[in-house]
Parts: sequence; structure tokens; C-alpha cells
Amino acid sequence: MAYRYLFEQMVRRELRQKYKGSALGVLWYLINPLVLMGAYYLMFGVIFPAPSEDDYPLFLLVGLVVWVFFSQAVLSAAPSLLDQGALVRKARFPREAIPASVVTVQLVTFLALLALLTPITIAIRGTADLALLALPLILACLFAFVLGFALAVSVLHAYFRDVAPILSAALLPWFFLSPIFFDPSHLDRFSDETAALFVLEWVNPVAPFIVAIRDVIYGGALPALPVLLYVGVAAALVLAGGMALFRRMQGELAVVV
Amino acid sequence: MTPRRPALDEGVRPGEIVLEHASRAFSVKADRGRTLKEMLIGRRRAGGPAPVQALRDVSLHIQPGETVGMVGRNGAGKSSTLRVLAGIVPLNSGRVACGGQVVAQLELGAGFGRDFSGRENIFLNGALHGLQKEQIESRLDAIIGFSELGDFIDAPVATYSSGMFLRLGFSIAAHLDADVLLIDEVLAVGDEAFQRRCEARIAEQIAAGATLVLVSHDAALIERTCERLVVLDGGRKVFDGPVDEGMPFYHRLMGTAVTVPSPQ
Repeated sequence: MAYRYLFEQMVRRELRQKYKGSALGVLWYLINPLVLMGAYYLMFGVIFPAPSEDDYPLFLLVGLVVWVFFSQAVLSAAPSLLDQGALVRKARFPREAIPASVVTVQLVTFLALLALLTPITIAIRGTADLALLALPLILACLFAFVLGFALAVSVLHAYFRDVAPILSAALLPWFFLSPIFFDPSHLDRFSDETAALFVLEWVNPVAPFIVAIRDVIYGGALPALPVLLYVGVAAALVLAGGMALFRRMQGELAVVV
Repeated sequence: MTPRRPALDEGVRPGEIVLEHASRAFSVKADRGRTLKEMLIGRRRAGGPAPVQALRDVSLHIQPGETVGMVGRNGAGKSSTLRVLAGIVPLNSGRVACGGQVVAQLELGAGFGRDFSGRENIFLNGALHGLQKEQIESRLDAIIGFSELGDFIDAPVATYSSGMFLRLGFSIAAHLDADVLLIDEVLAVGDEAFQRRCEARIAEQIAAGATLVLVSHDAALIERTCERLVVLDGGRKVFDGPVDEGMPFYHRLMGTAVTVPSPQ
């Protein structure tokens, strides 16, 4: 990996530019999910009680941090090649480094949040279990999935400038359809509508990642085998697809950005 | 990430440059990106200027250690040729191969992080050329010394004057152990003393065996630095030979291009 050091430098640069000039700096990454959690707890825990999960704030938080990682990573990766246009036009280096460094920066903050949230959740819910050993593997799959998605989105956006706006419009309904506030299998209303349930659980590729991570941290159990399989296959497919698309389309990048 | 070091292209020695029947056109529409609508309907907007043919069937074979000046009018295809040689822009047809470590100085300081200090930017820029941390550290003193930035090296690049910015950019590029040096009109850097040192530094690299391709409008600079001259016109190669024969050709070309009203 001749460009390992370049990648390291770009991650450092991203991190630095993110926190520059903000008084609370890294704390914002903690505050954002907490504010979201408070708002949704108010909405779905108090005002319109959803199918109640125990320790609902923790249930919400685990799903939220996964979602925030996914959405922030792809949203910031989308314009990344255009933002670094000066580099792309004037230097030759593996352009994958640009979206990959953006995703890695988000991963760092996500892992930091998770490192705070996991022990708290386990302590409160008593979910210390050997299943935790599977967590690194699931997180690696999540990273691969997000990276593949981000590679595709970034190179597509460089050619078709509608991609980022479409993505940010799609992320909101996508968020509400993701199993963040609810556990799909606890939705009584859908218990006899298997099609709707199937869509909620399996058509949304982010859902199994949320479910798997929540099963381990919040539920203290290994995710069901189909979920684990889905997570592994989705990670491999999306990463391979994203890399292939990026390689195919990157030739003209210096001309289009 | 692809471990794609700008390493030896296939079939060429370090420092060797091959361009075979190279052609490349650029769209000159104001909005270069395509919209999704166009993609979905499957056609591009009609109208607007036709694509500009920047390179038309250019063939060029440069041996390791040669020094080649490239001249021509604005828009003759000089910068496009360099961007093709640097591997930044692909060809529409033809073949390009550049052997060894290619260092392109197309724009000094491209990719500097403005909030970062000069020192940090040296590491960032070195990494961009595929160097590892240790390799950059071993050149750090030489780069800082050459740039004459002194204590400013630890100040953010945003506080630099444009001359300081360019000096740092040149200093980094000049210490990368290039096999092929591609330089586009960037030697008008800093004051005269620094320009002389730039030329001297390039001469050192040539003496060490580097191949030089220099694009400039400064005929005197090219005569001092290069032995071979390539004249481009309208994307075609119209002269390729020794610089002392090429310069009169180039001046004639430029002279005939301007219609001088003859005194009657």
C-alpha cells in the first residue's frame, strides 16, 4: 500500500478541518445523537407511545448512532471529490482516498460514540454476553457497506450533480422507515401483513445492520443467522460494486470536477 | 484503495516517455457535469460549442535523460499533453506511457491545506506523490532550506504571500527524486534569485538523470534548459528536433500568425 501514508494524512486533514473554530469541537458528535434521542423519545416514548421497548432511550440511541454514521458518511462523501477538485485536477494519486478518508473520519466518531454507549447500555441492561465478540465483525461489515456506498455516491455525484440532492431528500423517509424507533418484529399492526414486514426488515439494506448491532449491544444476544448472513453479503456486494463503479468512472474525474 | 503507485508503466524504462497516436478532445460547455435527466433520457443537450480537439494524433518518444521544451500558441495543446503524460487525463485514443516516478508541476501548491502549516503541507504533498513518512522526513530539511521560508514554515499556509506559497510548492516538488519532471510554466516563481535557484535545482535533477518536459512561453529559458524542442499547433506536433533549429521555426510560426500591416 504505497499510498497508506497519503490516506493517513487525508484523514488527519479532514478531522482537523471539521473541528476547526468550533468551541465544543468533538463534543458536537456526542450532542447531536443525544438531542435526536431526546426529541424522538419525547415523540415516540411519551406523546405517541410506540410499541414500548424497555429502556427506550437506550434502544433509540443504539439505532441512532448507526444511522447517523451511515447518513453522515454518505452525505459528506457525495460532494467530496468536487470539494477536492484542485487535487483531482492537478495530481495523480488513487482518488478512492478522498471518499475513503471522509468515511473513515465518520467511522472514528462513530466508534468513539459506540465506545461510550456500549458499556453504559450493558451496565444498565445487564446484557454482557459472549455475543459481544461478534461486534467487531459486524462493525467491519458496516464499514465495508458504508464505504462501498460512499464510493459509488461520490463518483456518481462528480458526473451527475443531482445525486447529492436526491440522496439528502431520500435519507429522511429512509430514516423513518429504518428500524430505529421500533423493532419490526414487535409491530403488532403488521403481524399479519408479512409483505409490509418483509419490506421493513429486508428491502432496506441498512435495517439488518441496525438490528444486528442492537441485538448484540442492547439485546445481549447474537443476531439471527439470516440477519448475520445478510450483513456479510450486503457488505461484500456493496463494497465490490462501489469499487468497481468507482474504477470504471474515475478516468474522466480530472475533466469533470 | 488501489495500491497504484505512479510506478513503471508497462514497456518503458524509468525516465522514458512514449506517446503514440495520442488524441484527446474536451467538451467546452460551461456546465461540464451531466444531469441525471440527460442520462435518463439518454441524450445530451444539443447546441453549444463543439468539443475542442486538444491533441490530434500526437506521437512522441523521449529517451531517459532528454530535456524537451514544448512551445506553441495558447490552446495549442501543451498543457493537455502534460496532463496526459502525468496520467491525470486519459486519452480518447492512442497510448501513453511514462516510466518511473513522474513528478508533475502543473500548479504549485495545488492541494495545500490552507489551515495547515507549511511543514504539515510538506508531509501532505509528499504523501500525494506516494512517499512514506520516513522518506519525507529525510528530505524535510532540504525542502525547508530551499524554500527560504525560515520560521514561517510553522505558520499556516493561509498567512503566506503568493510568492512564499509558490516557493514552498516548488521546493517540495523539486525534492521528490523524479525520473520524469513535467513542468508547466511554473518557473516564474518568486524573485529573480529564487528563479535562478529553481533553474539550478532543475539542472541538478537533469544531471542526476531525470527527463525534463518543460512547457513555457519563455524562449530564453527553454534555450538555456532544453536540447530538444517540440512545437505544437492546433493539437498537432508541427516540429520535433534540436532546439537551435526549432526556435527559428517557432518564431516564424508565431510571426506568420500575426498579420503585420506592411508599411507602404
